[in-house]
Amino acid sequence: MSDPRDSTDSNDTGGIDDAGDGPPRDPTLRRPDGGTSVLEDDRDAELDRGPFQRWVANSISHPERVYRAMFYVAAIFFLVTTLFPFYWLLMVALTPEGQLQDIVFTPNGFNPGAFVEVFQVIPFHVYMFNSFVIALASTVVVLVIASLAGYAFGRLEFPGRTPLMLLVLIISFFPPAAFFIPLNDLFNTSFVFLEPITGDGTLYNTPFALVTPLSAIFMPLAIFILTTFYGQIPDGLEDAARVEGTTRLGALFRVIIPLSAPGVATAGVLTFIAVYNEFFFSFLMTDGQPENWAPILDGILAYQGQYEVLYNLMAAASILGVIPVAILVVIAQEKIVSGLTAGALKE
Amino acid sequence: MARVRLENITKRYGDETAVDDISLEVEDGEFVTFVGPSGCGKSTTMETVAGLTQPTEGRVYIGDDDVTDLAPKDRGVAMVFQNIALFPHMDVYENISFGLRLRKYDDEEVRRRVEQAADIVQLEGMLDRMPKEMSGGQQQRVGIARAIVRNPDVFLMDEPLANLDAKLRVHMRTELQRLHRELGATVIYVTHDQAEAMTMSNRIAVLNDGKLQQIAAPLTCYNEPTNLFVAGFIGSPSMNFVEGELVESGLETTNFDVEFDPSRVPDATVGDDVTLGIRPEDVHLTEYADSLASSTDPIDARTDVLEPMGDEVFVYLLLSEAAAGSMEQDPAASPNQLLMSVTPDTDIEANQDVDVVLDRSKVHLFDTATGNALVHGLTDLPEREPGTTPTEADS
Repeated sequence: MSDPRDSTDSNDTGGIDDAGDGPPRDPTLRRPDGGTSVLEDDRDAELDRGPFQRWVANSISHPERVYRAMFYVAAIFFLVTTLFPFYWLLMVALTPEGQLQDIVFTPNGFNPGAFVEVFQVIPFHVYMFNSFVIALASTVVVLVIASLAGYAFGRLEFPGRTPLMLLVLIISFFPPAAFFIPLNDLFNTSFVFLEPITGDGTLYNTPFALVTPLSAIFMPLAIFILTTFYGQIPDGLEDAARVEGTTRLGALFRVIIPLSAPGVATAGVLTFIAVYNEFFFSFLMTDGQPENWAPILDGILAYQGQYEVLYNLMAAASILGVIPVAILVVIAQEKIVSGLTAGALKE
Repeated sequence: MARVRLENITKRYGDETAVDDISLEVEDGEFVTFVGPSGCGKSTTMETVAGLTQPTEGRVYIGDDDVTDLAPKDRGVAMVFQNIALFPHMDVYENISFGLRLRKYDDEEVRRRVEQAADIVQLEGMLDRMPKEMSGGQQQRVGIARAIVRNPDVFLMDEPLANLDAKLRVHMRTELQRLHRELGATVIYVTHDQAEAMTMSNRIAVLNDGKLQQIAAPLTCYNEPTNLFVAGFIGSPSMNFVEGELVESGLETTNFDVEFDPSRVPDATVGDDVTLGIRPEDVHLTEYADSLASSTDPIDARTDVLEPMGDEVFVYLLLSEAAAGSMEQDPAASPNQLLMSVTPDTDIEANQDVDVVLDRSKVHLFDTATGNALVHGLTDLPEREPGTTPTEADS
């Protein structure tokens, strides 16, 4: 339909040279258009198409342009969806209290003092410190125990290895809420042997009430990551270390862990961020007082009073709370990226 | 330095028996090579000495101590690995000093001993390099330096040269021999390369299927193999085997007979299936055989393929027409073929009818059923002890 040459030929009914196998015809003879049509030219003609058709044809012949365009569209989409809330948070934080209407792209006023005020209204730095300590302690606990588990699962042959590994992973499938009531009950029970440590013998309102359950919940992922990494270190290196004078444990800490640094960094940072950001246990395992090891979450909610809600301070505190994690990720990002992709590049 | 003694070492993985009741003793200062094909248990045996593998049964002694239950670090052994196994995150100095630092030697002593070890393996000036910046030969020298720096009682070397290229391997072979002479250390060396085993060791332990086949000096293994496996494994190219039957007049095979008194072959009687073994260099053309003290009757053969190696020429002989065109990969596998090695100046070409003889003093006879050697050389067969009757070869 789109090839005009076909229609020209079908109109060409009479004449001495209508046999298809004849010698080349004189293009000026017996043409309905007098042989002047440029479409008689022997090559594919440039068709007069609409802009969309042109664009389609262009993309078919240069697909890489489309891919690049799609990449930019996707990248911009994700950047906007992740960064715009931050931008908006900043705008809210900069808006003076009492003017929190009509904030879209610019703050309604300018009040950078909010970032100082957050520390004056409540001891927000104590909440930050609590969160940091809890996240760090959980990360250390997770890395040490998950390293031992990862060594066993990744490097030793023993009966029931796969079922045990699956069991460990299944634990991570449970919603944390399933553990909450028994744990809360347990942490509110007084144990005599804990009295020297916690005073009243309960774990409630101590960092242990957060570190213990959160370490357990984020342990399976770390075990899984470290198992993969430790399993890939050649046996010869461990043998060499053991012959040279280490125990199995010594070989783990002197050779296997240093060589698995990307994996350890990945597991560590993921655990740190997850614990730092955790809501459920963080909210419920302390009474929200900074001296009782309440984490950042409780600090942010503390700006919410019975009669007023200091949204600008909540926003400022949220931004400040992100900073430690942001610094951590920037420092460790190279290792994390190589750690997350290492499994994909098996030699 | 110390002796190493293995007593009835057995290692089973589930139903698989990797090492089957091996007992042997390595003398103080001796260089013993475990040799055998892949999967014969030689590495597992060595790992039981190192302590990396716990034997299912049996005891390991180093010096006078039973070390079976000791951790590898407490055995006074050092090991050089096939895959070299340098710690990639440490530089050469840290690699070599790893064991010393673990044992809390003071820094001065560590530095002195590392430099001495680096000197022995000619690694001066490379101590601050990372392993991945070095060539394979240099890496392996670091591995050796790491072993010698601790001045261990026993060196264990698990195919240390297997990952090196051929030229470097020959070079490192001589270096290891020099090292052994200088240090006077007890060395257990594992390889599947029988040339390494032959050239370097005081004694060779040939293993197959987890069992010790023979432990003896290299030339003893070569000249007096205890069974068909050792005979076929030691020597390159491999020994010719021709299956036959023991008859009154000697040995009868499909294509030729060898005359001797069968009653003087121990552990065999007339009618037994016997395999004749003859090395390629002990097959001679009849016209070149004058120097032989005792040779067999001429055997008709036809040359098939010549392989000039420079210093010698390997000639594939067909003993019957039927064999023509059915050349098998392994000349030792076919009863109709013989491999002969001759000097390069020999006047011989392919597809030529020739007469060959076997050097009677180098003919080996094996019991086909058990594979055990019956006699080595037909020239001085032992006198049968009076009163003993020929019995079936023990199985």
